[in-house]
Order: sequence, then structure tokens, then C-alpha cells
Amino acid sequence: MRKNNYLAIIFFILPIFLISAAVFSQELPRENAVQELFQNSQEDSEEKMTIAYVPRSLDNPIFLDAFQHSQEKAVELNVNLEWVSPFVYNEKRQIEIIESLIEREVDGMVLSVNNTENYIEVINKAAAGGIAVATFDADAPDSNRLFHIGIDNYKAGQAAAEGLLDYLEKNEIDYNNPEQKLKTMVMTGVKGAVNLDLRIDGFRDKIEDTNITIIDLIENQDSVNLSVELLEKYLQDNSEIDVIFFVGGWPFYVPAAALPNFQNWAESGGAAVGIDLFYDALLLQQRGLIKHLVGQDMAAMGSKGLESMYNYLKYGTVPEEFIETSLEIAEEENIEELLTKHQPWRVK
Amino acid sequence: MFNKLFKNIANGIEIHTIRTKLIISFLLIGLLPMLIFSFLSYNIYSGALNDRISAYSQEMVKRVERDLEDYILDIERYLNREQDFYINQFIKLTQADDFSNNRKYIFRIWEDFENLKQMKPGLEDIAITFQDGRRISSYGLYNIDIENIKNMLYTNDLENIYFTHPHKNYLQKEVITLLKTYYTDIAEEDVLISADIDVDVLANLTDFQFGEKSYFFIADKNGRIIFHPEEDKIGKRSFFYSNGFKNREVNYNDEEYLLTSTFSELTGWHIISMASAREVKAELNYLTEITIFLTVLILVIIILLAFYLSNSLSEPIRKLQEMSHKASENDLSVKIDVSGKDEIAQLGMSFNKMIRRINKLLEQNVREQKLLRKLEMESLDNQIKPHFIYNTLDLIIGLLENNKIEEASHMVEALGKFFRLSLSHGKEMVLIRNEIKHVKNYLFIQQYRHGKEYEYIVDIEDLEIMDKHIPKLILQPIVENAIYHGILPGEKKGLIIIKGYYKDKSIYFEVIDTGVGIKADKVREINDVLSGKIETDDQKKYFGLRNVDRRLKLMYGGASGLTVESEFEEKTIVTIRIDRRGGN
Repeated sequence: MRKNNYLAIIFFILPIFLISAAVFSQELPRENAVQELFQNSQEDSEEKMTIAYVPRSLDNPIFLDAFQHSQEKAVELNVNLEWVSPFVYNEKRQIEIIESLIEREVDGMVLSVNNTENYIEVINKAAAGGIAVATFDADAPDSNRLFHIGIDNYKAGQAAAEGLLDYLEKNEIDYNNPEQKLKTMVMTGVKGAVNLDLRIDGFRDKIEDTNITIIDLIENQDSVNLSVELLEKYLQDNSEIDVIFFVGGWPFYVPAAALPNFQNWAESGGAAVGIDLFYDALLLQQRGLIKHLVGQDMAAMGSKGLESMYNYLKYGTVPEEFIETSLEIAEEENIEELLTKHQPWRVK
Repeated sequence: MFNKLFKNIANGIEIHTIRTKLIISFLLIGLLPMLIFSFLSYNIYSGALNDRISAYSQEMVKRVERDLEDYILDIERYLNREQDFYINQFIKLTQADDFSNNRKYIFRIWEDFENLKQMKPGLEDIAITFQDGRRISSYGLYNIDIENIKNMLYTNDLENIYFTHPHKNYLQKEVITLLKTYYTDIAEEDVLISADIDVDVLANLTDFQFGEKSYFFIADKNGRIIFHPEEDKIGKRSFFYSNGFKNREVNYNDEEYLLTSTFSELTGWHIISMASAREVKAELNYLTEITIFLTVLILVIIILLAFYLSNSLSEPIRKLQEMSHKASENDLSVKIDVSGKDEIAQLGMSFNKMIRRINKLLEQNVREQKLLRKLEMESLDNQIKPHFIYNTLDLIIGLLENNKIEEASHMVEALGKFFRLSLSHGKEMVLIRNEIKHVKNYLFIQQYRHGKEYEYIVDIEDLEIMDKHIPKLILQPIVENAIYHGILPGEKKGLIIIKGYYKDKSIYFEVIDTGVGIKADKVREINDVLSGKIETDDQKKYFGLRNVDRRLKLMYGGASGLTVESEFEEKTIVTIRIDRRGGN
């Protein structure tokens, strides 16, 4: 009889025990997974200098070279690198991000901005707060930024114009006949961006004595999607245009199939030249749709810019106010080499 | 004191009048059912309305709970990534510091996260965070203070999902972060995948326009506020929390609120609606106002009707009362203008009839009084006959001549009393005692004059009648008739008996003489004349009997008066009946 009681108790208690164990064994990882992860996290933390890069947007692949090389340089210098920006260019959001960096008291920041009042104000605020501020790609010379690193944009504009003139000459298109003007459209990001305005100035000055006449200036708000839309629409309405000067490479980040009007126009004799050199743009040049490309050394903007800022913060080495990076010219002769050098930025 | 005050008030508003009583009656009859009906209707409807408000509030918090849980489940789906190729590559290449190959994955992740942000309003950011605080999100690559996040974590019913309290994100925006661990097969390090939800989303989810002062707030299971329209409340413990948020009425900032809550098992949050009682009960207040307005309106109508009806009904009665009062003040010229055929009109007609009747009776009474005075005067005249006075005075002179001074003195005294009692100071009514004395004086004088040819006896059986009043000069004319028409014509000595007694509530006198008597036909004629069966033109015929009889009938009615009985040559009995119940 007593033996039966023990069996009955075991019979009831054992399943309860097993069920409880099963439940708790499921609960424990769930309760602890994130906490464990946090516990591991504290072991590697150590005080590092933090330098933030703020490109104009994340969706513009032109900055990927700078991003890659600044990261590599950051590892080399043992610097915490932050690369932050709104995904799509938005002045207000970009300034909010700069404000948050000020709030978080980063050691330095390298910005691609416009020389406008709002940007100048936030740069000066950061500088006044003891944060070293530099600019890359696009400058705000009227602000209290420490230095600017980038190409000589005026020269880049001239180089693009020279490439155009070479093409016209090679193809025996008379660009000096005042009776037969070559109508030209210029696509830029936003007016007031010093770098872009300088490129236009360089281009304009180079073609001053020719019959190449700028009749339209279109702003795409630094948006890749908008640039494609505006370009296609423009060519649909103005197929008689002779020349297009792309101040930046915005529309060429999309596949060529997404630019049917542009393809037709280019294949029908339209001459397109531009600044910014990357894999997709080189493919278009290889196909003859773009006649001449001038590239910036974005990698140097990333690595050298970071190093200059680091040296300033670490050693107090004040860099030159303008650090010029070189231009890269894509021509028939070096196009294959450049296609090897510049990797596609999309995942296949 | 209160009784006195109440009486004063009651007197002041003439509560004793029929009009006031009618008004009160009408008001009670009209108002009581109406007030009871209003009260019951209001209570029933307000009860139903309260139930509806409560159900509506409950429905709203449930709806917020559903929307909130749907939203959180959507976010959870974004976080529930398993072995995402791009994320895995990114983690592996990041750990290897292979920036050249990593950048396309980073770009892809940025695009991916940005697309999710565009798809889900309120999703402020999605991020992958390494254990050292490095983070990739739709804003790029940056570092966070991972210890700070750790301190804000708490869990709930969602599997492997952690929540943070509201905090400022990278862009200094107020967000709530959902985190979970992302396990990767191709790298050593597991990472966190997280989503920042803009606190404004909670504002949108709870943005029901159900009043200016009404609002929602959200608190965690310990009552700590996660969302509140007043931002300074966020992060603090709600003082409405007490092992949960029980549905009840609460007072906050001098405002009554209906607190309704529900608990979301999924998020571990309490969703609380604070509905301004004043706003949600606006309908109830409207109902109250309508009820009060209608009640007052009906009250006024009932009061006006009560006054109108009371006046209509009581005015004829008031006029009747006024006329009656005038009539009671001797103004018998009053007359009510009667209109209608109702009971009050009939009462008015009866009143007019009564007044006419009173006027007639008064005229009749005046006539009767005049007749009475005349008969009295005639009786008095008949008594003070000159030859009675001369004979009596001659008798007194004779007595004096015969030196019968004492007798003469008695005679003078009797004569004086006789006349004094006859006049009785002009009074109409005299005590029977004095009337008997008067008759005795007369009999004394006459007995002396006639040489004691008869004797007389005065027998009053019931002495209590001696103090009763009767018209004066009732007995003397009858006694005089007994002497002159009964005793003196006979040759034998006679006897005159005067009896007085009380019988059947009437006073009776009998004057009996043992004289010559009266023949039967004559007796019949006399009684017929006295009863009015026959009339006589001769005013002097039976003058004494008729005078006394008419005076008694005028004063005491038809039952009073004289009857004559006689046995010829034996006796005559004249019975005087005074029925004091009759007459005026």
C-alpha cells in the first residue's frame, strides 16, 4: 500500500518537474540572450577619438570610395569613425545630424555641405563648442571650418569642357561658328553649392569663346532619382539639345536601361560630358553614351581628410586650409584600366 | 416658533381658501406624476448613457490596443530576420575589417532599412548593433552607448523581443526601441537588431478626437508612463497606478475624468483613456438641461392651469361667499348673477331664492310685529277703560267716606300695582309670576267692587313656570270675561279658578268660572272664530279672546292660542296654551 503511494506521488510530481524544467529551459535563453550579449560588449570598450564624416547623403555611391578609405584609415589610426547622413539628401535632416554630433561631443567632423547660411551657422556652432570641423567634396568657405579637402572644382569644370572640345574637334563638329550655336544644358545639384558652382564656372569659362551656349540649368536637388526623372523629361521635350554637361554623376547610378531618352539622344549624336567617375558611369562611357568623364579622388578625401583631422586633434598639426585632391580623366585609352580599378557598388 | 411661522405663512397665502386648496390639489395631482416620471426617465436614460459611455471608452482603449499591437507585430516582423545574406556578409566583413568588399553590403543594408522606414510611418530607424556599440542604421555607421540601452530594457510577451523606455535616439528624437538578438551562422559574433519607434506614433495611434480635455496615455506594467500628451510626464510613474489601472472616476487638475484602461499582454503596456467627465457627459448634461427645461415649462403650464382652473371653480364660490357675507351684514339686496347649470350655479340660484325668502319673511315679521304692537295697544286700551277707573276710584272714595282707610289703602295699592304691571315699563314680555300678580290685583279690585259675589283661586301646579316669560296681559282679559260674562250674569255666588301648569313642553293656563256657561253652538262659534275657520266683520266681537289668541299665535305659532269649553249654566273653561317651541 505505502509503495503504491510513493509511486503515485512520483507519478504526479515527475511530470510537473519535467514540464517546469522544459519551460524554464526555454525561458532562460529568451530572458538572457540580449543581456548576455550586452555583458560581452563591455570587454572591448576603450576610449578612442571619434571623428564623424557627414556626406551629403547615403544614397550617392560617389561617396563610397571616401567611406571605404576613411574606414581603413580609421583602423590604422585607431579612431572611432562615424559615417552618418540622411539616406536621401535633405538639408534639414543633415543639419539635425550635425546637431546630434555636437550634442554627443565628437572630437571632429568632416562634412560635405553647401556654403549657405544654415550650414555656416551649424558649423560655427560646432567650432565654437570646441569641435574641429572640416569639409570634403563640397565646401562652406564662409564658415569657421578648419580646412577643406577636395578637388579644384574650377579645374574640374575646365577639364570637362576640354574633353568636350576634344570630342567635338575629333568629330569635326564646328564649335567656333557663331552662326551655328551648340545648345547646351547643364544639370547640377543645387545652386549655392560652392563645388558645383565652381565646376560650372570652369566649364563656362572654357567654352566662352566657342559657339557652345548654355541655354538651360537644371537642379536635381542632389537626388539620384530626381536627376533621372528630370533628364528623361528634358530630353523628351528638348531632343534638339546638342550638349549636356553633368556637374555631378547623379543619373548614371541607375542602369542604362532606365535612361531610354538619354540613350537615344546620345546615339543620335548628342555629346554628354560630366564630372564624377565610377563604375556605372564608365560603362556608359565605354558604350559611347558619355564622351568624357572627369573623376575626383574620393578615396583621398576619405583617407587624407581623416588623417589631417586626426593629426590636428592628436598633435595639433594645423593642415592647409585647402587640401587639393587630384582629378582622374577617363579617356578611350584608359577606360579598361579604370573599369578594373573602380568596382561596381551594387551587390549582384 | 416654527408652528407660528408656518401659521403666519399659511395665513399670509390664505391656505384656508378653497382657491388655495384647489391650486394645491391641482399642483399635487399635476406635478407629482410628472416629477416622478421625469425623475425615473432621467435615471433610466442617464444609466443607459453611462453604460454607453463606459462601453465606448472601453471600445476605444481596445481599439488603441489592437492598433498598437498590430503596429508592434509589424515591427517585430521586420526584426525577425533569420540568416539574412546581406546582414551576414556585413557582419562577417565588418569583423574582418574588409571595407572594400563590405561597402556594397553596407549600401544594400542602408537601402533596405530606408525602404522599411518609408513603408512604415513612425519607424524612425532600424539598426544592427555590435557588442562594442558600433551600429549600422538608416543614418549610416556610428557608435552608441550600449550600457545606456541595457539599463532601459525590459521584456514582455513577445518572444525574444525587448523594449526600452522612451529615450532620445541618435537624432535626439524621442523613441521607443524594440530589440532582439540576431544570430548569424557565418560569424562568431551575434548582434542586436533593433527598431526605433517614434513616440509620436503613439500619439497618432491614440489620437481620437473625443474631447478637448480627454486624452490617452500609455504606461508599462509598473505604471511608468511611456507616452503622455504632456511630455514631462513621460518616464515618471503615474499616480493613478495601483497594481494596475482600475476603471473608475478620478480627479486630476480639478477636472473629473473617467479612467478606462486595458492591458496589452503583447506589449506589456497599459493603455489608459482619460475621458473628461464633463465632455463625455455633455450629452447627459444636455439631457439634464432638457429635462429641467421641460419640467419647468410643464410646471409653469400646470401652475397657470391650476390657477386658471382654481379661479374658474372658486370665483363663483368666492362671489357666493361675498354675497353671503354682505347678506350676513344685513345687506339683503344682494343678488348673484348666475350663469351655467352646474352645482355652483344651482347653489347661486338657491342663495338668491333664500335671500328672496328672507326678505319676504322679514317683511312678514315686520307686519306681524306691527300687528302685535297694535294688539297689545288694543289690549292695553281695553284694560284702561274709563268706567273701570271711575268705578274703582268711586269705590275708593266711598271707602274713604266710610272711614275705611285701611281698605281704601289696599284698594289704591292694588290699583297702582295693576296699572304698573299693565305697563311693565313698556316691555312686551313679562314673567308669569308678575302676570299672576297682575291678575290677582285685578281680581282683588273687581271682587271688592262686586261685593264678593264670587271667590277666586289661583292654583299654579308647576311653580317652575313662574319664572318663564310670556306676553303681558294674557290672563286679565280672560278673567275679565269670566267675571262679566260668566259670574255676574248669574244669581249664585261664583268661583273663578286660575290654573297654571306645564305639559308636553307647553305652558297651559286654565281660567274656569262657575258662571252661567255658554251654549254649545256659541262655544263652537267662538272656537271657530279663534281657529280662523270663520271670520267675523265685527271687530269688537269676542275682542278679548281674539286679541289674546292672535297675540299668542303671532308669537308662538298656530299650536298656541285659546280654546273654550263650556257646560251651559254650569261652567266655562278657557284654556290658554303657550307652546314656547314655536313662534319667533
